[in-house]
Amino acid sequence: MTAVDIALFATVIGSIVLFGGAAALALGWAFRDGQFDNFDRGAKSIFSPDEPIGEATDAFPGMPPRLRKTPRPGEPTAV
Amino acid sequence: MNLPPFSVGPAGATRETNIEIQTLAALHMPVTTAPEPPQYDRVKSAAERAAIDASCRGPVLFFASSAVFWLLTGSMLALLASVKLHIPYFFTGSAELTFGRVRMAHLQAVGIGWASLASVSACLWLMCRLSRAELIYPKMLYLAGVLWNIGVFLAVVGIILGDGQSVEWLDAPPYAPPFFVAALGIVSAWTVAVFRRRREPHVYVTQWYLLGAVFWFPWLYLVAQFMIFWSPAVGVVQPIVNWWFGHNVLGLWFTPVALGSAYYLIPKIIGRPIHSYYLSIIGFWSLALFYSWAGMHHLIGGPIPAWLATASTVGSMMMFIPVLAVAINHHMTLLGHFHRLRYSPALRFTVFGAISYTLVSFQGSLMALKDVSATTHFTHYIVAHAHLGAYAFVSMIMFGLFYYMVPRLTGREWPNRTLIRIHFWCAAVGITTYFVALSIGGWWQGRMMNNPDIPFAKIVAYLLPHWLTRSLAGLLLTTGHVAFAISFVMNLAGWGKQRSGGPTFFVESVEQKTYPPP
Repeated sequence: MTAVDIALFATVIGSIVLFGGAAALALGWAFRDGQFDNFDRGAKSIFSPDEPIGEATDAFPGMPPRLRKTPRPGEPTAV
Repeated sequence: MNLPPFSVGPAGATRETNIEIQTLAALHMPVTTAPEPPQYDRVKSAAERAAIDASCRGPVLFFASSAVFWLLTGSMLALLASVKLHIPYFFTGSAELTFGRVRMAHLQAVGIGWASLASVSACLWLMCRLSRAELIYPKMLYLAGVLWNIGVFLAVVGIILGDGQSVEWLDAPPYAPPFFVAALGIVSAWTVAVFRRRREPHVYVTQWYLLGAVFWFPWLYLVAQFMIFWSPAVGVVQPIVNWWFGHNVLGLWFTPVALGSAYYLIPKIIGRPIHSYYLSIIGFWSLALFYSWAGMHHLIGGPIPAWLATASTVGSMMMFIPVLAVAINHHMTLLGHFHRLRYSPALRFTVFGAISYTLVSFQGSLMALKDVSATTHFTHYIVAHAHLGAYAFVSMIMFGLFYYMVPRLTGREWPNRTLIRIHFWCAAVGITTYFVALSIGGWWQGRMMNNPDIPFAKIVAYLLPHWLTRSLAGLLLTTGHVAFAISFVMNLAGWGKQRSGGPTFFVESVEQKTYPPP
């Protein structure tokens, strides 16, 4: 086995260990940190008081603000 | 848009508004809303996001501008290559403009230029926003942008001058990759640095995708460079590494960034959380687990160990899990909000891209079956599939992201809605035509090539109208790109209307009304 072969094997094995190890570490950290404890909160984390759930945030230029409003999920909208 | 108001609804409302109100009223659905957050919180939150956007404005717009430049360059090269297939004597006198060089230069311009630079701007902006953290030391990112652009320039010009290397996706001359590697290192480090400075404790699914992308791509690129060029592996190991890279650059670089963008943009634009956040997490981790297995299906029928191709076919089938997770999630999130596609340019492009992701992934998994591959391999069916992924999925989502992101960074509206519509329809019709023409042509090309009784010249003649259609589709796509570039430059130049609520746009209070049933 030449030095080049050894280097290639080291690259392949090292990559597998690095890739798999990093994924395992990330998953373990996420569990320990409670990232998967509350999915509802996670889904809502991109909204903020000025861009809350229920408000659309994009329109063609010149369209009026009222088009942004949509009924919020879970709120009673049907009589 | 000053259209005459209907009889129902507030005076001065537009036709679209009133149609919505009338529809809800007809369904006995009062337009009610939950209590608004206090004004103080709204202003504070808007100010925080404005500061975050301001911190990353320069580098993100630099990467975005470079991406648009390479999109135009790549489009011209693509058109040239496409025309040469049905008009073979077009520019024949020039060695620099032969099909082989121009096509490789196109791939580098749009792959490492447009799509990658757009992905970098997406990574930086989305990571800053989702982490609720400002970008630090932005000058280093300018340096990364300059290095990346030098790399793409050397790759495109080097290939045109004849220095290209015959390795798909890695065809840049040897003097270009060091620039990419250095730039990629800086970009990855800065994305992770922003994440580490996050004020938002929750890691949103988009952040998982972005972190995966900035970890996977440098690793893929370095290993592929090492094993193919710097210390070349022997024999069939080289194509194995080549297609391990070639496939993963799509699935572990472009796909996570594009999906991450869609997971942010769709709920954010329509104002509704993801349908199943649980499913989105499953989607990410199953992509991470299965995607890197799939690359060897490009070598089915080639001289590689049979178990390797079979393992890749299995990996490709397993990709149904993340794809279904994403498809269900996006569709269910949008359910009841499809009318928003009329009003939001960013949503229009993003949803087109998300639907294309489902299509291209299902198609890709089926193409990994050996029986299907026996017909489609080495035909234009593959070209159609590649463009469905790289353009209809990735590029369309990147366009959607740009339409959402750029006005928030420049503080100006898009100058002209007609240009946006031209862009969308040219892109949508163009890529659909492209895909259909080459898929049909490629499938029959494969069937005929498998029949030894059919002369090769007859197959070439059969493909001529399909190639012509491809050129026309390419012309449409390029027209859309020009419209997009004009909008982009006008916005950067400050020709668009200034946003009324500052760079965050939506700080002004939104009118609340309740309409009783008729």
